[in-house]
Amino acid sequence: MEMIHIIFLIFLGGAVLTYFSGKISKVLQDIFFLASVLVPAYLFFAYVGAGREATLSLGGITLIWGVNHFSWLFSLIVLGLGSMAAIYAIGYMKGKKRKGYFYFNFILSIMAMMGILLSIDLISFFIFWEIMTWSSYLVTIYNGHDIQRIGIKYFVFSAIGAYAMLMAIVIVHHLTGSFLMSSMINFYPNMSLSMQIWIPVMFLLAFGVKAAMMPLHVWAPDAYSNAPMAYTSIFSGALSKMGIYGMVIVLVTMINQIPQGFWFREVIAWLGGITAAIGTLWAIKQDDAKKLLAYSSVAQLGYIITGIAIGTELGMLAGLFLAVMHALFKGTLFMVTGAIEKQTGTTNFNEVTGLIRKMPWTFIAALLSIIALAGIPPLGGFVGKWMLYESLITSNHYLLVIVIFFSSTAAFLYCYKFLFGFFLGQEEKEWAHVKEAPAVMVVPMLIMAVMMFVLGTFPGIILKPINSGLMDLGFVDSFKHLWESSVILNVWGNHVVLQPILYWIIGIFVFFMIFLTWKGFKTTRYVSTKDISSSGEVPADDENLTFSVGFMQPFMRAVAPAMRRQIDKYYNGIADGLESLFEFIRRIYTGNGQTYTIYVIVFVVIVLLFKNILF
Amino acid sequence: MEKVLLDILGAIVTFLVAFVVGMTYGGLNRKITARVQNRKGPPWYQNFIDAYKLSSKKSAIHHGVMHHLGPAFLMVTSVMTLLIVPVLSHNNWFPNLNFQGDLIFLLYIMTFGPLGMALGAGQTGNPNSAIGVTRGLSMMVGFEIPWVLALVALMIQYHTTSITGLMAVQAHSGTWLMFSSPFAFIAAVMALFGMFRYSPFDIVGAPTELASGPIAETGGKYLFVMMSSGSVFTFAKLTLYVDLFLGGADNLFILIIKTFALYLIPLLYSLVSPRYRTEQAIRWFWGWPSFFGLLAILQAIIF
Repeated sequence: MEMIHIIFLIFLGGAVLTYFSGKISKVLQDIFFLASVLVPAYLFFAYVGAGREATLSLGGITLIWGVNHFSWLFSLIVLGLGSMAAIYAIGYMKGKKRKGYFYFNFILSIMAMMGILLSIDLISFFIFWEIMTWSSYLVTIYNGHDIQRIGIKYFVFSAIGAYAMLMAIVIVHHLTGSFLMSSMINFYPNMSLSMQIWIPVMFLLAFGVKAAMMPLHVWAPDAYSNAPMAYTSIFSGALSKMGIYGMVIVLVTMINQIPQGFWFREVIAWLGGITAAIGTLWAIKQDDAKKLLAYSSVAQLGYIITGIAIGTELGMLAGLFLAVMHALFKGTLFMVTGAIEKQTGTTNFNEVTGLIRKMPWTFIAALLSIIALAGIPPLGGFVGKWMLYESLITSNHYLLVIVIFFSSTAAFLYCYKFLFGFFLGQEEKEWAHVKEAPAVMVVPMLIMAVMMFVLGTFPGIILKPINSGLMDLGFVDSFKHLWESSVILNVWGNHVVLQPILYWIIGIFVFFMIFLTWKGFKTTRYVSTKDISSSGEVPADDENLTFSVGFMQPFMRAVAPAMRRQIDKYYNGIADGLESLFEFIRRIYTGNGQTYTIYVIVFVVIVLLFKNILF
Repeated sequence: MEKVLLDILGAIVTFLVAFVVGMTYGGLNRKITARVQNRKGPPWYQNFIDAYKLSSKKSAIHHGVMHHLGPAFLMVTSVMTLLIVPVLSHNNWFPNLNFQGDLIFLLYIMTFGPLGMALGAGQTGNPNSAIGVTRGLSMMVGFEIPWVLALVALMIQYHTTSITGLMAVQAHSGTWLMFSSPFAFIAAVMALFGMFRYSPFDIVGAPTELASGPIAETGGKYLFVMMSSGSVFTFAKLTLYVDLFLGGADNLFILIIKTFALYLIPLLYSLVSPRYRTEQAIRWFWGWPSFFGLLAILQAIIF
């Protein structure tokens, strides 16, 4: 029995045990839940290295699981973020109903993601892909709001993707006689041209749905915002990365091998860019933090897709580095939103405001992740953005770089909206009772915030595994060519040295911080947010000075023409068309015996009338 | 160790030069504005007097940690920009961090401070501050488009993303980039209007409308640090433009002439323009300036 078997057994057994132990004791359930996420994570990193394989015979088909450097990189995201989210979930789910249901699906999701990463044959890849879809679907409808609209939308898109993939798998098996990924990849150059195009398209359809790529993204904002936040942090942080994982494999091993692949990559890169721009605009418009972050996830995945679709070494490094960073900062931001939801009961910017003094640690975590999201040095997001721009410019994508830059700058608007909406602004009496979230929720957020800081200064820590992952996929070694431990450079030899820059930033900041604090330390005192200048008058206690409704209105006015068309409407149009078609068919199949009798009689009459012509 | 001390010394000298020059420009701005409006106006050193007054005042109140630290965030951006931009070419006086960052790094570090200050302004709870901040961020999305178009055009035309690389190109060919890539220069100068936030783009501070916007609740030492930061940033931005488009400068005298000539463009334009609304300002930047930026990119691709 291999360690990989043991890990999967712990996941499965842990999920079942967690579900049923809730009947005995809540604490026992929490312990089982934590153990069944953290123990496999520990076992994986301690005992399973690249090159390990395990097999399982199932009804005549041998399933093969194994680890290479590339899947190890994504395991880092899944298990790292999964462990943090699991610890957080203990605090988040405290006192909520149907904990067993949530924990069960949480563990299954993590297991399914690990399964996808470890699968070497396409059958187990597909099975785990379906388990992932199912478990995430079940968590999405956990709250019970709007199941019809949100759940079905997510499920229909997932199903379309999954069946496209299944079709591709069947075709591949027909062509090669094997379910192994390696045989598919080896046979790919010998396929006919139409197959060379259709098989990647079908796979990309499945991966594009999970990665929320335009125009397959419409399920994402609803599903992300409707799932419990503890799950959304892995939903957006890790689960969407499975789409990226698949895309990278398809792009590198298949599309890059054929001459037509250039156009393929251009189209995907542009789709990524448009996803980023549109996602950002819609994120700015949202008044609910969950929705805002959900659209922002769509936009951020757009950058990642663009990076990997460019396909140069620097582009790949950028895309995968951003994938790791996105898991960190978006995971943290969803956790922050969850903490606020837990403490105040709402995530609407128009309702809750001025929490900075009540939830200072949550604010610090949010601030650091926002800085990383906006791509401002010295945090990790900057490294990814820098590499993305450099790769776009050096690979002659001049207009795309403008699109990406536009969305990246516009992202500041929703970044500020998030921070201002929750933490800044007027402190209102309504929220005077709010306290900091429990430590079990705050600590994972802060750990991830520190990680962002470390990766921003020493990106080499994560670029090294990315590099070995890319080498496993057949890229040349980019080590000492495009980056060193704290230096990033492009193919023209221009570079940024992060470490001294960090020291300077800290130095300048600390100097002026001391200057501001030292000067008049005794005379400066804190005053409340009511004590402000308001046209020379002192505002009364009951005067409402909160500014949150229509927050980014001038900007929305400027970009209004771009937002008039919604892809959702087109899908709804298709759905309406289909519905009227089905309605028409339902008129024929009424389910009434008499109607069917009439059909039979009419048929017989027709046959009798025209028997001379027919026979 | 000695190198570190020298670096710090260099940084302090650069900072002082930038402070003095930036403050003087601010004073000259007021003087020129007054003369155009047929007033006598304050003396050119008025800004120094104001700064001294602010720094010697006692600050009685603050609105919390972010408000307290907002000016420090702003200072980080100003000083980092100043350190990354090469002040003089062929000179060892101000080596600073010139060779350790590039244009894209600069673009992003320039947004660090405004965002930090915006947080400080947000914590005061003054609705005018928050409105000013949202306007400022919106306008930033506006002017960054032509600015980035211009920069990308330079990058692809000369195959470098570093500022020193672009300066080397000019030194080597003997032609200023202003003449060899004129469209990029036009787009960049139009973006400069947005960076300086003078009329017609003074929608952030918006006197008489927003009660000076983000800095409404700031006074004393906080306003002093912000004012110094603004002066330093003015100098850093102008120096960057001189380095990129006007061939850099060999000594301080030439640098001051070139930067002041550049500074006059947004200043004089502001004197004859009323204020735009926010969406008008954004669309203005996405109109002609971006068109020139696209022309610049076309030129870079074709030649």
